[in-house]
Amino acid sequence: MPPPLLGRRALLAAGLGPAVAACARPAAQSGPAGAEARSAPAVDRVRFAWADVGVPTPFRVSTAGPGGPVLLTLLYDTLTWKDDRGIIPWLASRWEVSPDGRDYTFILVPGARWQDGQPVTTQDVAFTFDYYARHPYRWMSTAMVEAAEALDAAHVRVRLKEAYAPFLEEVAGVAPILPSHVWAQVDDPSTFDGAGASLGSGPFRLAEYRAAEGAYRLSANPDYFAGRVVVGELQQLNTAAETRVLAVRQGELELAHTTDGSVGAALKGDSRVKVLETEPLSVVRLAVNTARPPLDRREVREAIAYALDRARIAAVVTKAPPVVGRDGVVPPGSPWFDPQAASRAFDPARSRALLGGQRHTLELIADPMDREPELMQPMLEAVGISLVVRRADAKTRTQLLREGRFQLGQLQHIGVGGDPDFLRRWYTGQETNDFAQGFTFVDERYAQLAAAQAAALDPARRRELVWRMQTILAEQLPTIVLYYRRFYWVYDSARYRPMNTWGGLMNGIPLVQNKLTFLAR
Amino acid sequence: MCRLLIRYACLAAAVLLLNFALPRLLPGDPLDLEASDGLNAAVAPLTTAQRLQLREQYRLDRPLAEQFVQYLSDLARGDLGWSISRAAPVGALVAQRLPWTVGLVLAATLVSALGGTALGLLAAWRGGQLERLVVGAAAGLAALPEFLVAMALLLALSVGTGWFPLQGARTAFAAQPPGLLGWLETALDLSWHAALPAATLALTATAPFVLLTHGAVRQVLLEPYLTTARAMGLSGARVAWRHALPNALPPVLTLFGLRLGHVLGGAIVVERVFALPGLGLLGFEALRARDYPVMQAVFLLASMAVLLANLAADLAARRFVPGPA
Repeated sequence: MPPPLLGRRALLAAGLGPAVAACARPAAQSGPAGAEARSAPAVDRVRFAWADVGVPTPFRVSTAGPGGPVLLTLLYDTLTWKDDRGIIPWLASRWEVSPDGRDYTFILVPGARWQDGQPVTTQDVAFTFDYYARHPYRWMSTAMVEAAEALDAAHVRVRLKEAYAPFLEEVAGVAPILPSHVWAQVDDPSTFDGAGASLGSGPFRLAEYRAAEGAYRLSANPDYFAGRVVVGELQQLNTAAETRVLAVRQGELELAHTTDGSVGAALKGDSRVKVLETEPLSVVRLAVNTARPPLDRREVREAIAYALDRARIAAVVTKAPPVVGRDGVVPPGSPWFDPQAASRAFDPARSRALLGGQRHTLELIADPMDREPELMQPMLEAVGISLVVRRADAKTRTQLLREGRFQLGQLQHIGVGGDPDFLRRWYTGQETNDFAQGFTFVDERYAQLAAAQAAALDPARRRELVWRMQTILAEQLPTIVLYYRRFYWVYDSARYRPMNTWGGLMNGIPLVQNKLTFLAR
Repeated sequence: MCRLLIRYACLAAAVLLLNFALPRLLPGDPLDLEASDGLNAAVAPLTTAQRLQLREQYRLDRPLAEQFVQYLSDLARGDLGWSISRAAPVGALVAQRLPWTVGLVLAATLVSALGGTALGLLAAWRGGQLERLVVGAAAGLAALPEFLVAMALLLALSVGTGWFPLQGARTAFAAQPPGLLGWLETALDLSWHAALPAATLALTATAPFVLLTHGAVRQVLLEPYLTTARAMGLSGARVAWRHALPNALPPVLTLFGLRLGHVLGGAIVVERVFALPGLGLLGFEALRARDYPVMQAVFLLASMAVLLANLAADLAARRFVPGPA
């Protein structure tokens, strides 16, 4: 018999997530489920590098990147959480899902308290979803929730407008539960910074936010329901990207990240400073405007894919062993990855054959700092495609892509590691964000599959649908994935041990300061 | 004088209009979220409904003329608006950053102006090898970008040696002991952190003062009244300080005025490399985020500071320029 969590992971990987996780053991027996991930050294202080993410409340924190929402996970709790092997119970010790997938009944863990000592109640949970309906949490929409109701002191039911398969991971595991005694009186949370604005039930409480410096000081919550917090104080400091790794080496920080894959070699032999590399949860890809000639022809898109030596591009830019882009978009290593989905290997002869001797000139919109275009130009030129690179900052690029004023656009972003519903969101046009920018792909079969997988309650069935979506993406190439990126977290191993989270923190975020890393077990 | 003031008042009005118009002429939308470093284009899934709601909240859905009138009206009441990207009042954001920028840039400007002027004067007055050395070094320094100087100082004086911190404006969350000792400790900590950024700014800003003063003094040295002063038996130092320098000063004062005007514009490169919470970086980040209210506030401060500094330099130059006999 396999160990329970490993078994759960394997089942989740096979797409059996929600149904199985609902049967997971209660959380509050000896600390939270999954807290046995690894031991955390007990230290007085851990400092890590990030940027200023604004006022740390769910309604004012910056959602222009994952740093703000991740900071909130240390102050607040969610109903579910994730360890390195899958979804685990958290504020909800367990849950039941109705046969039609619309009702989630969560059983609240006993003993959870807000940082002002008041108990976390089912009314708080119901209030949270009601409040988010009026004042959205911008990191993750809760729009699929129809209503939430506290059934008794232990049970709370969340009713969805329709079945939504990613609910446990992408909503219950992301939306911070709010103290109703604080927020019920707040009409405009977007300006509220009064008492309790950052009050959660999480492992840390906000001790100080220095707005000018973008620096946060969090102190351990001595009454944390899920276990003893072994780090006395946590500081998130606004630091320059150029000096972050040096700062860890000099002992000014305990944790910082870089995308430079050569950092491992540079730190080899250092007995104190170590590197933890994440799964390749970030993607660098070309958005293809399939509505504009000649890219409306599949053979031209295919020719581009064959012409690009993606392994070389990845190796040069990341300075690390490449994780070559897959035409089905979902990265290898994701439990949703379809190994059967075709992907085009570097084959210039085949590319030339597809173009049939025709020459094309294509325009690529890229960031001024992107190095990939220079590498792609000679590769494409060799098959008869002249690549004109137009550099533009992020805002300009986004506007051009949103308005369809482009042929090719280079994008890089996270969000490909978590639940595969991103495949629907990118291509349904329901969201006006960078993930969806540059979308011009219209495919009736794909749209039907996308809708069906989002509502698929049978995990095996869902996996099959997601795989079929990958097959269509690989066939049609509305986007060409160049490569997947890892993040390299440099840390002081004597004082802190970061961890990788299954599918990335929350909805696929490659940050490693999972709240479990601060807990004793 | 009156004409001068009217000219500056017209310029100020034009600056106001430009401050409002320029951010809106840029391509891009403040509501298109952009990721912080390292995780580019990783943004929250903002739904179309949320987007429309935010557009209304920030009054971006109103006609431009109405937005401009509102901007002027808010400004008249001292209200700089609400930051779109930071969800905070702009006035507070500016006030938090102002002391860091003013302290750092002002100190560096004063040091570079005084030091550069003295060196330029010395080089021109003494001539010979010293002149070649000073002018050569200044010309070389002027060619170095700020970023390079900052990184060189970091590598030489922080990395490895650990003499100075790599970043930050002060030791994060350090407790201040009570009393005078506490204040002294804080002052020392601030100075320790400010040393490398200030040195970077001072080094790069000194060169123009050296070269300008040197050139101006060299020109003045050819004037016959200096020969007369020497013939009257005045000491070399007295001739240099009392007669040569004042007459060479107007262009140096103008440069000083211009530099001073840039105090409120901040020092983007230095603030970024040393992770200092200055106005320059705030403005730069606002530009990247197309955060109109913050852009307007930072640009307004910076441009008004330049205008005022220029006005002061104009007035000072009138006083120092020798009038008709």
